[in-house]
Amino acid sequence: MLNEILSALVAVATLQNLLIMIAGIWGGVIVGAIPGMTGTMAVTLALPFTFYMDPVPSILLLVALYKGSTYGGSVSAILIKTPGTASAACTALDGYPLAQQGKAGKALNMALYSSVTGDFISNLSLIFFAAPLAVLALHIGPPEFFMLMLFALTTVAGVSGSSLLMGLVSAALGLLLATVGEDMYGSFRFAFTPDMQAGLSIAPVLIGLFALPELIKLVVMRAAKKEEAAKLGAQHVTRAEFMGSLKTILKGSVIGSVLGAIPGIGPSSAAFFSYGEAQRSSKNGANFGKGELEGIAASESANNGACGATMIPLLALGVPGDVITGVMLGAFMIQGLTPGPLLFQTNIHEVYMLLIGMLVSSVLLFFAGKITMRMFAKVSLIPQTLLTPLVLLLCIFGIYSIASSPFDVAVLLVMGVVGFAMFLLNIPAAPFLIAFILGPMLEENLRRALAISRGEPAVLLSSPITWVFAALIAFVLFITMRREIQKFIAERRVNQ
Amino acid sequence: MKKLLGTIALSVVAATGPAVAQTYPDQAVTLVVPYGPGGASDLAGRALAETAQPFLGQPVTVMNKPGAGGMNGARSVSDAEPDGYTLLLARVGMALSPAVTPGNAVAWDAYTFLGALEATPMILAVRADAPYDSVEELVTAIGESEGRMTYAASGATAIDGFTTQALLADNDLDPLTAATLVPYKGGGALATALLGGHVDFVAMAAGSLMPHIESGDLKALMVFAPKRMDTLPDVATAAELGYEKAGQIAGWSALYGPKGLSEEVTAKWQDVLAKVATDEKWLELAAKRGSISTIGDVDMSDYAQSQYTLFHGLAKDFGYLPN
Repeated sequence: MLNEILSALVAVATLQNLLIMIAGIWGGVIVGAIPGMTGTMAVTLALPFTFYMDPVPSILLLVALYKGSTYGGSVSAILIKTPGTASAACTALDGYPLAQQGKAGKALNMALYSSVTGDFISNLSLIFFAAPLAVLALHIGPPEFFMLMLFALTTVAGVSGSSLLMGLVSAALGLLLATVGEDMYGSFRFAFTPDMQAGLSIAPVLIGLFALPELIKLVVMRAAKKEEAAKLGAQHVTRAEFMGSLKTILKGSVIGSVLGAIPGIGPSSAAFFSYGEAQRSSKNGANFGKGELEGIAASESANNGACGATMIPLLALGVPGDVITGVMLGAFMIQGLTPGPLLFQTNIHEVYMLLIGMLVSSVLLFFAGKITMRMFAKVSLIPQTLLTPLVLLLCIFGIYSIASSPFDVAVLLVMGVVGFAMFLLNIPAAPFLIAFILGPMLEENLRRALAISRGEPAVLLSSPITWVFAALIAFVLFITMRREIQKFIAERRVNQ
Repeated sequence: MKKLLGTIALSVVAATGPAVAQTYPDQAVTLVVPYGPGGASDLAGRALAETAQPFLGQPVTVMNKPGAGGMNGARSVSDAEPDGYTLLLARVGMALSPAVTPGNAVAWDAYTFLGALEATPMILAVRADAPYDSVEELVTAIGESEGRMTYAASGATAIDGFTTQALLADNDLDPLTAATLVPYKGGGALATALLGGHVDFVAMAAGSLMPHIESGDLKALMVFAPKRMDTLPDVATAAELGYEKAGQIAGWSALYGPKGLSEEVTAKWQDVLAKVATDEKWLELAAKRGSISTIGDVDMSDYAQSQYTLFHGLAKDFGYLPN
């Protein structure tokens, strides 16, 4: 085995491979940082190039793009409150307030350290625990999936801000919007136009909800307009700050690695899950959403932690967990490599090369992140009055470029107005987005579970995994209600 | 000097001549793939885009337009300007959807048929530890289960749902209630559902199943294709086993354009496809996807019509449409 690892190491360590990975990581970071341009787009566009490359470099290129874009999403989330990718939505919750306080540099650095740590741990789990995690993933059937998603949805309680009721209203609206389009059995809901039959994409909803209300605020509330741009402020994360978040980073990395290994969950849900968990367990929990470095650490370690782990079901089972790994599966097949149980027997040399390459790309991510951060941090120097229209333009072009669809742009603008109305009514946007992303998975797995059990709801509590999640959900409901009751009593005391 | 000038003049004529005579294509051609990236149709589209480019003389850019069972992308092409710059990677769904949901789909003949591309076999598979070793044993178990046995498919009226329903109908079982359909999205998810034991069987595209059949985790019971697969020489086709309806079902890809493409465009693509048909890269990529190139072997407008008629008949049989 050692011999094989060494020979793979020699094969990977070529200048060509290194250049390909640098190009992939850096390209990914930049694409991820541009609102509307997603990792899926980067990976899909790069696919035809791999037809003419050797198997290992071509997969390394795609993996590098995936990792880079997942990290890159945090840059724009922090600087302009526009998550470049959905998985950075929770990063915006704490990153943007920090940027407004003049701590953008700190926030960006924390995002990078968490991303790189999450990424590295995820790669290690791919190397050492691929087989057991793949077996675990296969045991996650529709009932288990449903309970897991239901638990992830309890994050809503944490991101509701001052009013839980408003958070629940927001989440309910998000779930409702997620039902637009064709359902899994082929019936149409809220499909008023042919475009709506296909449902609403995540990107325009995400960006409409987070970025556009900022612009409208600027235009409508002139008095509140900020005259100067946010200062970059103290760049470095102090040792104490990093150590304070270390537990959260490690926990987020493990959450990302485990959830990433389950096909269909992906980095966004992992980030929500981790953010919710960190908020509940951290002593700084009350400060989440107001500019807490630990919140960024939770979100970023989990979303990058999921990246490497999505390769587990792909390599070990030949099962792609999301669109990006689906494209990678295609790339593997084009190269004549068939991911799945046999890959580790027939192509162990290539597998080791790939794993070593992924570890190297974690290191490259650190440097690419540092350089890109310096470039993008200058954004903070642009006055808000100039920046916001530029962001709007970028959002519109980015969204249009995904599918050349004017409908997506319309969704973006409508969601911007909805987001502004929600701001006026004090309804938080984050629960809406979380429910919108988790909604389809929740519904589909509930209906699958009930189809298999022929309508018997007991199926939802039919295995040990479902019991664990049911217990966790009950626990979260309990502490949330206790907190609300305490808040209620405290308010009454103040009023008296 | 004169000679040199003559050469220059000649080469200028040679260079501009064809460009003047032949105006199509003078810009990139968009190939719409009506399903998501990474799937079997996407790979077929990208392989065509790559191999056709040198023969066409212009780049072919692939654009994924998924949604509504492929009808989203199909509609965008059938509504497009018939200038030859927007084409469709058509799949069996382009004949199946209008046959089953006539009100909600693009008509099967709302296109110019440029040519067939490939046949994509489908496989009926169960887990390796399942107690059935033949189609008959599986069908008997389904009959006895009174609807308790489950199968994964993209949807009731998707091609991987029709495979199972046709098999049930061939065995005088009710195609809609004899087994319970559990919908999943995409070949990978369907294969995982079977691998994890969450459903009892699938009858779906070979590409996502072959790795698990080769590794011994899944068993192939039958192939839905005109002939046996090279990689599964011992597994009989549905037609060989005497299944009348199931025997006619197979997957395919073709190249379509909007209705009313000019003579020039169709002639150009006929020429390009003829060259692609023998292109080594194209054949190699097709073999890797587990499909068989059918360029030039099939008259596409006849085939599309026969497929539509088949599925329309089945949809009535199965009760999706009134008789």
